[in-house]
Amino acid sequence: MKSPDAASQEPMDDFDLEILDGIRDLFEHADPMPPDLPERIRFSLAMRGLEAEVARLTAADEDNLVAARGAEHSRTITFDSESLTIMIRIDSNDDGTVRIDGWLAPPQRREIEMQTATDPCRVSSDDQGRFAFISVPRGTARLVVTAADRANGGAGRPVVTPPLIL
Amino acid sequence: MPADDTKPAGAAAGLPDRRAHIADLVAAARGGDDGALGQIVTELSPMLWHVARAVGLDVEDAEDVLQTVWTRLVAHLDGIHDSTALIGWLVVTTRREAWRVHAVARKQLPTDQEWLSELPDHAPGSEELIMMDDERRALWEAIGKLSRRCQELLRIVAFVPRPDYQALAAQLGMPTGSIGPTRGRCLAKLRTLLASRP
Repeated sequence: MKSPDAASQEPMDDFDLEILDGIRDLFEHADPMPPDLPERIRFSLAMRGLEAEVARLTAADEDNLVAARGAEHSRTITFDSESLTIMIRIDSNDDGTVRIDGWLAPPQRREIEMQTATDPCRVSSDDQGRFAFISVPRGTARLVVTAADRANGGAGRPVVTPPLIL
Repeated sequence: MPADDTKPAGAAAGLPDRRAHIADLVAAARGGDDGALGQIVTELSPMLWHVARAVGLDVEDAEDVLQTVWTRLVAHLDGIHDSTALIGWLVVTTRREAWRVHAVARKQLPTDQEWLSELPDHAPGSEELIMMDDERRALWEAIGKLSRRCQELLRIVAFVPRPDYQALAAQLGMPTGSIGPTRGRCLAKLRTLLASRP
């Protein structure tokens, strides 16, 4: 058998590559990356340069009243930021998507974007701060509330929510 | 397959496409496309995770290092034009940052850790070791007998895509020969350990 020193000078062969594949396989199983880490990194990268307030999740309740009425599943979630409170209710649609009804407090007209794994959807809130997304695919999503367009007297800093699982 | 592709099919099939794909994403990200940047993050974070953990960081520190590195990449995108440059920059920056954080955290850590105790969260316990087939278990145990430095190096090398390895080897402290990467001391030692098992 060759000395380790001499063997170390040789070019890699197929067995070396096989060993490296084996090492990769071992660590992929023994110490996998937390699956949501890329999503969290993407989130913080998307926030760069945007002078956004990040809203905090302050309340999340399963709606027992609705659950008692039938098989429907409903959740309400409240986010708070410095300037705005965002409350949303998530209901299941029959087709597997979800419906989201939301309220902004204090009530105001804003543009609201629902960012999902697929295309983002945009709606506007009315004078009472109400908005609704009729059909949103399930998965990870977050809300970005920006100023209403100027014709509607738009003002206010953008507010973003942390990612939520629909 | 692109016409100018001279690589043989087989083990390397798909890789040139992947490299072209990454180069396209880099170009788009440089142009301000956050979706493209996000795809790069999703595709390459697992590799960087293993680089950071190989250095010996705990889960939380490793996550912070990845956040830092990706944020820094945004400022460096102008100088990066292909897959190899991107992967090289990411791996070297992650490793450097991980070592910096490790040096700060080191005070609380024993100087000579056990191999298994370095993976407090996910290390195979005795039951998982039993579940491993013989080959895997032999490899795991042989790696455990290597020096700290060899363990780190081999884990990183195992996760660097093969076509990028040649460019990275020197920066990682692995010697390269005139025709390609040489086996190096760590792989040679590991082969000896694997060959000598009962």
